Amino acid sequence: MLSTEIRQWGTRFGHLPWYRRYEFLFPALVVLLVAVGFFMPPEGRPEQFFDGATILLAFVSFLALVLIVITDREKPVLLKRAASLSLIALFFLLFYRYSGTQWDRVRHQFFNLQALEGVWPMYLTGLRFTLQLSVVAALASIGLGLVLGILRSLRNPVLELFIGFYIDFFRAMPLIVSMVVVFYALPFLGINLSAFWSAATSLILMNSAFQAEIFRAGIESIPKRQIEAAKALGLGPMKTMRLVVLPQATRIILPPLSNNLVSLVKDTAVAYVITYPELLTQARHAVIWKRNPTPLIFSMFIYLATLLPLTRYTRFLEKRSKRWVKR
Amino acid sequence: MGKAVETDKQPIIQVTDLHKYFSTLHVLKGITTEVYRGEVVSIMGPSGSGKSTFLRCLNRLEEPTSGSIKIDGEEIVDHKVDINMIRRDIGMVFQDYNLFPHLSVIQNVTLAPVHVRGTKYKDAEEIGMKLLERVGVGEKAKEFPSNLSGGQQQRVAIARSLAMHPKIMFFDEPTSALDPEMIREVLDVMRDLAESGMTMVVVSHELGFIREASSRIFVLENGSIIEEGDPDAIFNNAQQERTKKFLSMII
Ligand SMILES: Nc1ncnc2c1ncn2[C@@H]1O[C@H](COP(=O)(O)OP(=O)(O)OP(=O)(O)O)[C@@H](O)[C@H]1O
Ligand SMILES: [Mg+2]
Repeated sequence: MLSTEIRQWGTRFGHLPWYRRYEFLFPALVVLLVAVGFFMPPEGRPEQFFDGATILLAFVSFLALVLIVITDREKPVLLKRAASLSLIALFFLLFYRYSGTQWDRVRHQFFNLQALEGVWPMYLTGLRFTLQLSVVAALASIGLGLVLGILRSLRNPVLELFIGFYIDFFRAMPLIVSMVVVFYALPFLGINLSAFWSAATSLILMNSAFQAEIFRAGIESIPKRQIEAAKALGLGPMKTMRLVVLPQATRIILPPLSNNLVSLVKDTAVAYVITYPELLTQARHAVIWKRNPTPLIFSMFIYLATLLPLTRYTRFLEKRSKRWVKR
Repeated sequence: MGKAVETDKQPIIQVTDLHKYFSTLHVLKGITTEVYRGEVVSIMGPSGSGKSTFLRCLNRLEEPTSGSIKIDGEEIVDHKVDINMIRRDIGMVFQDYNLFPHLSVIQNVTLAPVHVRGTKYKDAEEIGMKLLERVGVGEKAKEFPSNLSGGQQQRVAIARSLAMHPKIMFFDEPTSALDPEMIREVLDVMRDLAESGMTMVVVSHELGFIREASSRIFVLENGSIIEEGDPDAIFNNAQQERTKKFLSMII
């Protein structure tokens, strides 16, 4: 029984070159691990040439084994994943041991939980301001972008000129510049906008310019025959847009639009420069208060926790729209 | 042969000296004719002769360059007239159905009655279901158009137009995109409609249907109506050499 299985094993993998066969890979891995156990230099930045060479050799050998596994079409996917992951893990392990970083200092400066005491309420306030600005800017820019996109899809030369200029202007203008101009320059003309409305205005102007193009592309993707069918039934232009064109265009519009909205939420952090008390501003205040950068580090995680679900959703929408196109 | 209609009534469509240019291309060259209530007029003619353009001018999907079109006595070649009010009384069926793919079959049928005529959805749905059953696709009401065969889609398109209770129905090559067995089911619906007294203008190459169902035939060539008459006059007794030549090519 066993012997036939071994023979089958031999015939099953007989066509592979020696280095791709488990008979080689497995012992090689064991030898490598044992050698590493014996010869690896002590923790800390390697002083001697020989130590550095040993570390490099160990990593390159492991890399070679991993490459052999993942370039082989016949190896199971699970094994390939495990190999890639362990390579990454090894890299970080080596970095941790031999980069010479003072980890206790990193821990004290960047991950000092004591420096977070009393900061959580500030995060909460900051997050609230960030979300307020995001929601207002998102809704207003969608409204404005939709109107501009519809107007542009009419292909009226005069409108085209004005809207084209608007779109080019605000797509080219750096957000931080327009925000600073609105907040610090307009008051000289007697136009005093609060930090919130300055930030919102700049975000709305820029994002509606991007969104106008997204909406126009979606609208123009609908065949003319659909619009004619609606007209022939007696639907006016507004109703044709609302009932026939836009519902069909959403599948084209949604992926890039949600992408734009993710950027918009990220860009609210620019309002830091005009002292709007959003998340980043709060984190910065906390750093000054605690004399420790940990609050800033943790604000990154809060941004991630807010935005990762959104980006995942965006990717889901993209996949879904591709599937529809295929049909 | 053909459909008998008393013609001592007022015309429901009256076209006078209709011209249409596409930039410099002269596509309709002075068409003058009329269609009476209850008539079924078939338009025949070689490809590119302007059949579609003529039909599309009649509900101003194309803007006529000059001339007059009166629908039920009302001039429509005039920018002051609300064309949507005219179009709601004229049904149009296209070669490639043009159903709304994001709406179910019954929603396709109820869209215009609800949003143009302001009918309550419940009533529109009831009427829509009757129409769908009349054209033989009642059991598909909840499906989406992409799940229907071409013939079924075209019958839904007819029901969608009928739901507006039009006075006139236009058909632009309604069977040209269909397989033979589906052509029959659509033509049966159209015959049924003709018998019910609907005024119809049909661009078609289906000789059988044209012979049996139409009261009159227009032969269009190069932007002009070169001959018109009842099916017998056209098929057996054509006066124009060009008509005879055209017929000899398609029969
Ligand atoms: N939108 C347009 N722009 C420019 N030219 C057009 C347009 N629509 C039609 N034409 C031209 O007008 C002429 C008549 O076209 P039309 O579609 O009315 O012909 P048809 O009789 O319906 O032909 P077919 O039997 O092929 O459908 C053709 O020469 C065509 O190229
Ligand atoms: Mg045509």
